[in-house]
Amino acid sequence: MLPSFEEKSVWVQLIGLVVVFAGYFGISGVMLANGVTEMAPYVSLFAVAIVLLVVVQIVGHIAAAVIGKPEPRDERDRLIGWRAESNSSWLLATGVFAAITGLLFEFEPVWISHVLLASLFASEALKLVLQIVYYRRGV
Amino acid sequence: MTKGSDPLRATVRNHIRSLRFAASEMTQQDLANRIGVSRQTLNAIEGEKYSPSLEVAFRIARVFGKPLEEVFTCQFEAAPPRKRPK
Repeated sequence: MLPSFEEKSVWVQLIGLVVVFAGYFGISGVMLANGVTEMAPYVSLFAVAIVLLVVVQIVGHIAAAVIGKPEPRDERDRLIGWRAESNSSWLLATGVFAAITGLLFEFEPVWISHVLLASLFASEALKLVLQIVYYRRGV
Repeated sequence: MTKGSDPLRATVRNHIRSLRFAASEMTQQDLANRIGVSRQTLNAIEGEKYSPSLEVAFRIARVFGKPLEEVFTCQFEAAPPRKRPK
């Protein structure tokens, strides 16, 4: 059975997120390794990543809508979304806790911001993966 | 529920597929449109991968003109005992 529009949308979001943020963290990792600790270059890189992410999402959703007719979310889509969110939010909470700990130990802002960003990315990616698992395996 | 007892495990079964065929071979898409869910969700309900809300369950029964218990049944069985801390 072909996936629903909602499931295709989840795939588009996951692929876009992983591709764009793999690029972002790859480049920023090299910058951090080379001792770049000012925020300005990272902010520019992040802005480019966000624009790319939006473009990938728009193109992906247009392609998904062309392949199959978009349908509104129904109760199963909502349940899957809630359950995936509930089982992935701990990653973001862990990142926030790590960032607060980093602040207490006076880590540089660039590290704090990347811990927060990485936890946000990981939490969102886990949520999308769980949604796909629930669509395939059942809830 | 008595404190400390294990709840019964409920498994919801349904006869939607046979009812669809009995109703002039209604397609999944037709039924999904009539109850307001996607075809994939109806497929998940039929395949017992998803238990619908009461509202959707009543809508399905209404389409077939049957009482709810002729469309959905629930089987209870004892859940495996939980491991208790020593």
